[in-house]
Amino acid sequence: MRLWLKRLYRLYFQSDPFKAGLCLLAALTGVSILLGLAWLLGKALWDLGISAWGVDFLRLVLGALWVLLVLFGNALLLVWVERKVAGHMQWRIGPKEVGPFGLLQSIADAVKLMGKELVSPRYVDKPLYLLAPFLIFMPCVVVLLVIPFDPHLQIRDINVGIVLILAFSSLTSIAVFMAGWGSVNKYSLLGGMRSISQQIAYEIPMVLSIVPVVMLSGSLSLKGIVEAQKVPYLLLQPVAFFIYLISAVAEVNRTPFDLPEAESELVAGYHIEYSGMRFAMFFLAEYTNLFIVSALLTTFFLAGYKGPWLPGWAWFFIKTYLVVFVIMWFRWTFPRVRFDQLLNFSWKFLIPLAMLNLVVTGGVLKL
Amino acid sequence: MNPLEVLKGGYSLLKGMKVTLKVFFSRPVTCQYPRATLPLSPRFRGHIKLKGDSCRACGLCQRVCPTGCIRIEAERVEGQKGRVLKAFWLDFTRCSHCGLCVEECPQGAIGFSQDYNLASFRKEDFVFELLSEYRSRA
Amino acid sequence: MVAEGLLRDLDAIGCVVEEVPYERKGYWFDVKAQKEKLPELAGAFDQHGYFVEEVVCVDWREELELLYHFNHWDDPRRFSVRTRVKATDPEVPSIWNIYPGAGWHEREIHEFFGVKFKGHPNLSYLFLHPDIDFYPLRKDFVPVTEEDKRVLLGRFPEGDEESFWLNMGPQHPSTHGVLRLLLKMKGEFIEDMEPVLGYMHRMQEKMAEERSYSQYYPNTARMDYVAPLAFSLCYVLALERCCGIEVPERAQFIRLIAMELNRIASHLLWLGTYLLDLGAATPYFFAFDDREQILDILEGLTGSRLTYCYYRIGGVYEDLNEGFLEAVDRFIQRMKRRLKDYDELVTGNAIFLGRTKGIGVIPKEVARRYGVTGPNLRASGVAFDIRVCEPYDGYRFLKPKVALREEGDSFARYLVRLDEIRASLSLLEEAISKVPEGPYRVEKLPKRPPVGDVFFATEGARGEVGVYIVSDGSDKPYRLKWRSPSFSNFVSFTEIGKGMLIADAVATLGSLDLVVPEMDR
Repeated sequence: MRLWLKRLYRLYFQSDPFKAGLCLLAALTGVSILLGLAWLLGKALWDLGISAWGVDFLRLVLGALWVLLVLFGNALLLVWVERKVAGHMQWRIGPKEVGPFGLLQSIADAVKLMGKELVSPRYVDKPLYLLAPFLIFMPCVVVLLVIPFDPHLQIRDINVGIVLILAFSSLTSIAVFMAGWGSVNKYSLLGGMRSISQQIAYEIPMVLSIVPVVMLSGSLSLKGIVEAQKVPYLLLQPVAFFIYLISAVAEVNRTPFDLPEAESELVAGYHIEYSGMRFAMFFLAEYTNLFIVSALLTTFFLAGYKGPWLPGWAWFFIKTYLVVFVIMWFRWTFPRVRFDQLLNFSWKFLIPLAMLNLVVTGGVLKL
Repeated sequence: MNPLEVLKGGYSLLKGMKVTLKVFFSRPVTCQYPRATLPLSPRFRGHIKLKGDSCRACGLCQRVCPTGCIRIEAERVEGQKGRVLKAFWLDFTRCSHCGLCVEECPQGAIGFSQDYNLASFRKEDFVFELLSEYRSRA
Repeated sequence: MVAEGLLRDLDAIGCVVEEVPYERKGYWFDVKAQKEKLPELAGAFDQHGYFVEEVVCVDWREELELLYHFNHWDDPRRFSVRTRVKATDPEVPSIWNIYPGAGWHEREIHEFFGVKFKGHPNLSYLFLHPDIDFYPLRKDFVPVTEEDKRVLLGRFPEGDEESFWLNMGPQHPSTHGVLRLLLKMKGEFIEDMEPVLGYMHRMQEKMAEERSYSQYYPNTARMDYVAPLAFSLCYVLALERCCGIEVPERAQFIRLIAMELNRIASHLLWLGTYLLDLGAATPYFFAFDDREQILDILEGLTGSRLTYCYYRIGGVYEDLNEGFLEAVDRFIQRMKRRLKDYDELVTGNAIFLGRTKGIGVIPKEVARRYGVTGPNLRASGVAFDIRVCEPYDGYRFLKPKVALREEGDSFARYLVRLDEIRASLSLLEEAISKVPEGPYRVEKLPKRPPVGDVFFATEGARGEVGVYIVSDGSDKPYRLKWRSPSFSNFVSFTEIGKGMLIADAVATLGSLDLVVPEMDR
């Protein structure tokens, strides 16, 4: 353990003890202030007697903490999982030096990215360039508020949960285009433009494949959909499952649909001009989005948190990470689809198929 | 888009995924250097070394080297015919591992070593003096 | 056959044609021409379906000699056309309108020797840096004249309202090595392109004039570091042809085995990097795993893994090591199983087919006028393989099977290279069972090669590797020129690349299998 600490220390601070001491002091102070405040709040609430308003507030705070935990913990975990899966699919092992089985590799990467210089070109469009990394994260937070991890672990069950999710997940396209336009670079502009048309094209099949699910379960709230699945909708709606899977991969900009960040054509596309912590935000946003679409897939088609013996959240996470594994499997097997083929596939195949599925489902339900 | 073609295409994609899954569950083929090393072949061309005492300081290796990385210092010792090797300087930053010097030596005095762990921070560390190296080995 | 018809035409034009012994020179017919007759001659060659292999310039101090090597797919009897110009005012009519590939060679000769080609549209710097102020490959220091400097610096055509110049720069993950392409883009389509080469130029040809024949071995290995034995083999065979050395059979078989292993290794590397360009990261590792097996075998034989200094004039450096033939046999069996994996993972893959089918078609005429050779040519339907047309070395005993496809698109090039791996595997199987006993090297070598010139062409992994050596009786070459297959393959891309999407351009460039060090020399 001391060895790892020593290595982290050397990595970040490069043996500058003054800088190290200052950072440690700042961290300790911040953590102690937060803990102190939390304790004070809890004591105050307890002393005053917890009112309904207090319970609500407490639930909100705990919910926010849970969201942040899922967000960052998941992103760190998924970075490690991706590298391990990639390695094993390529006859090699992934990271193994930092921490047992390389588990601390993500933390080392995060520390490295934090320590990097924030280089940006001179004539960037400042508002767009600076806002884009944050804007790409915000929709994820909102969407995580409505996902049912467990029957008792859903921060807010809005009765039009699906509409909320679809609305907020379209915001990522705007953020990507802001990044592409704001960094004054032809390559990133091309990446941004591609991303916008791709995400618009694949939102429609996504929506069209969710509608049969809604029709079958009769409710727009996510918890209602999970509760209504006596039999996972994977078996009742296989076509919708595949359409949603493919659209989800396209929405998240992952191979085989990762043209906006095609490494060998556009040299990292819309996030070329970002470095350091800003790049880390894009990077984490990609994995968070991946988690979110997998979570939605399990909610709609794989019966969310339902399952024998194990608690609900265990089943939820198992199913979600299985889907994440499948999506990673796609990435490391297939080459990239060309842009016009991608759009053709969506407009000329997926949308007619989704509509057909919708009509057939509607017809069967009527009978 | 022909749906039959898409299905056939999808089936080909699934076949590809099967290969990757098979590899996922197989044992990796990498070697965990530096904790484990792979064996080198006996003919591996590291830097050259003196194989015995038979160097006559004739300078043929110096003349035949394409990059001029060998420099021989020889002296005359009374009582012995010919010259005697004083120092054999090899500038390894210029060596191209061609083997012409090894081939050319009429005595067979030079050969390849199996040394590959030669990283260093300074250029001076790569100028070897082979005679003292030979003496310290023997 | 074809040559007879051409000889009659050449007679009509009025050039002196001489038949030379192929075993000592490497070409069959030596044509001496006046420089004014060159376009007419080129037209005659074009009519009979010849292609230009290379254009060489030799500096004879008071005169500059230009040589054009022509060859034909069906009748592979090489013609060498020579013309001499005064060194003080070298001006020659250009043949770029008949043979655009020769136009690129002329551009290179202009910047290295100062020969002006009348009628050539673009004689600007191709390999050299604009700061240079003399002609490098001349024997004496000849400074660049003012007007020539203006011609050399006049690159960069202007753009218009709707298009912009995109720099697919020297640091780009998918141009293999340091290749720079300036693309004039209209949206996502490429309108025009201007390549800037020379980022890996190492003056190998000038170095040859400073080193003796045996000191040049390491340079031959570094010309193309993906399959280095091709260039080593070509060089060694050229000198053996020039001096008339008879190589023992055992050495010929050993050379063949090593060369075929190199060919498989080169194709595997191409496979990995091509799929990496297209976005699939895993086949890269599979290909490199297989390539490691070959490199281990060759390390046991030669001692080096990447740049082998193993071939010598008159044989090889050392005999086979213990267990070499068994290791090759094990590798062949393993590779046959692995090819099935590649077929499942890549060949049938719908996405891969969508990216490569119908993309980057090289028609036969374009291939002929640019001098494309190798698997690119065989994918366009022309069965031209120098191992079969002009057998040399061990290929006199064992004939490889020539892989052929008709379509000429990137997918056909991919299939041809996979077929070539299979053909090499069966050739290796035959070869390891037939290696004869005997010496592995000629004992006595002549001190110097005789005065004269020699040309030798071999089939490398990318196409025809050729070397042209002029010897003046000393122990250093007077002029050594490499015919690099990647250069001729690349310049055909400047024609077929117009009007492509940039994603298709990446796919096509990758499928041409370019290796920049052999292009830039």
